[in-house]
Amino acid sequence: MDKPLEMTSRERVLAALAGQPVDRTPVCCPTSVATVELMDLVDAPFPNANREAAPMARLAATAHTILGFDSVMPVFSIIQESSALGCKMQWEGKDNWPTVRMSEPIWDKPEDIYIPNDLLEHPDLVCVLDAIKLLRQDLGQDVAIIGKTMGPWSMAYHCFGVEKFLLLSLDDPDATKEILEKLKKVTIDFGNAQVEAGVDALTLPDHATGDLVSGEYYERYLRDLHTEFAEKIHCPLILHICGRTVDRMGFIAETGMAAFHYDSKNGPDESMATVHGDIALVGNINNPETLFSKAPEDVKREVFANLDAGVQMIGPECAVPLQTSIANLRAIPAAVKEWHSMH
Amino acid sequence: MAELSDIANQTIKDEIEEFLERPEEIERFVELFSRAKPALQDIAAAIIEGEDDEADELTAKALADGIDAIEIMDDGLIGGMGIVGIKFRENFVFVPEVLSCARAMRAGMAHIEPILSASGIEKQGTVIMGTVKGDLHDIGKNLCIMMLRGSGFDVVDLGVDVAEDSFIDAVEESGAKVLGMSALLTTTLPNMGRTIEAMIDADVRDDVLIMVGGAPVTQEFSDDMGADGYGPDALSCVAVAKELMTSAA
Repeated sequence: MDKPLEMTSRERVLAALAGQPVDRTPVCCPTSVATVELMDLVDAPFPNANREAAPMARLAATAHTILGFDSVMPVFSIIQESSALGCKMQWEGKDNWPTVRMSEPIWDKPEDIYIPNDLLEHPDLVCVLDAIKLLRQDLGQDVAIIGKTMGPWSMAYHCFGVEKFLLLSLDDPDATKEILEKLKKVTIDFGNAQVEAGVDALTLPDHATGDLVSGEYYERYLRDLHTEFAEKIHCPLILHICGRTVDRMGFIAETGMAAFHYDSKNGPDESMATVHGDIALVGNINNPETLFSKAPEDVKREVFANLDAGVQMIGPECAVPLQTSIANLRAIPAAVKEWHSMH
Repeated sequence: MAELSDIANQTIKDEIEEFLERPEEIERFVELFSRAKPALQDIAAAIIEGEDDEADELTAKALADGIDAIEIMDDGLIGGMGIVGIKFRENFVFVPEVLSCARAMRAGMAHIEPILSASGIEKQGTVIMGTVKGDLHDIGKNLCIMMLRGSGFDVVDLGVDVAEDSFIDAVEESGAKVLGMSALLTTTLPNMGRTIEAMIDADVRDDVLIMVGGAPVTQEFSDDMGADGYGPDALSCVAVAKELMTSAA
């Protein structure tokens, strides 16, 4: 297929997600590129930027306006739904991520699960929907807006506690499946609400990471659910799972999701070989060692390795540390453009 | 030299045969279990299979039969957990299975710990453990603590989301020679380096040797931030703590 003429950022991202030709590889972060430096530049610090639509949108827009990425992401953390479900929260300050107090779980067994009918009216979800509308208003149709809806496996960590939920997954598979079945409503409803608010795609983090569970677990508990999400949520989905995931990428590629956001623990070549083009890949630029600790030249090396392997979208492997430098983040789109100028 | 056939318990034999690949580890565990009493092999098998009720009953019975508490702990509980640690390292089992085995080990240790505490046996030293600021994950840290305590260390557990000042206070108050920091998230990993810098500023860095671990931590990152030791899992945490404790002596 011929390379298309110059595309807008949004066209580029949507084409890559659809497996269509692009004028150049898009630069995306499906999780977060919020940093303290960026918060200062647009006066949108945490925790306000996690709880109020206006600072949330201002900080999200910097991914495009200051860093030069092709997409923006207003949901910087993974806790909005858990807060709405009633988890005990620690919203933290400007230089730390908000977290759920998982040592104080809100539920003990599947029967305890309660999803309020007006969940989508909770302020921590409303602010996301409002931020999406503000971003569309401010950025128009030129930039891709990616939202985020949490998968049931991750929400179960928050609501039941990681240790308890993982032990339950071994002790009582039926109860585990019941929990996932009940929580999937939140994933679908919040996902589609964001689609209505104007997102182009959604990241769906569901942390069945290789650091915690086996690839067989992914197949047993999540493959079918993720397939269902791809059918019932009305936009392209980008699955995010941290850690080593090559042993489950084959299953992930079967779900019908548009892309998989993958970690630097997986090599670009082996990952591309594993998914056989059945799902696009995005991510892989190492956070703690490269983006946080090294120089733009090192970032460029990793970007080139991904482009050489044919990875469809380039970006950090996960939400970047809040103290990551703007220079290193800007090095990602710069490296992508440089690589394309040579190819 | 001990042979696999010298081990009485079939589960242990099968586990060594199926999951252990490194010759030195096969030799170590064959030697351990071939001389271990059959009752302690049974405890180790219960740990490996994550059978907490069985580990509880067998440990109580072994004590009632007059077997020494330390022997039960070393040959049965830690011996079993040692095989689990190797299976985890080699990706034969994952965290749910390890948690289940740890639950079984805790059931056994509940009988052993009061006896050890009352006996006044000299400890290996004190280790401070905590998950860094902003990170609420504690599974890895708790597994490390369980293995450290089982290996004879006193542990000061600072919990999760530990601020720099809390680590510094613990160093000053406990007199521990080794401090362990854990992080699960790439987003909180930098807080390890910040904690080390804060310890330098507070003039306590030279009082303690620092080990780090957690899913995203690597040897390279450990070296870059100026830690003294790195371990990829709970089993290696004990080895690193012993090594650091020796160099601190």
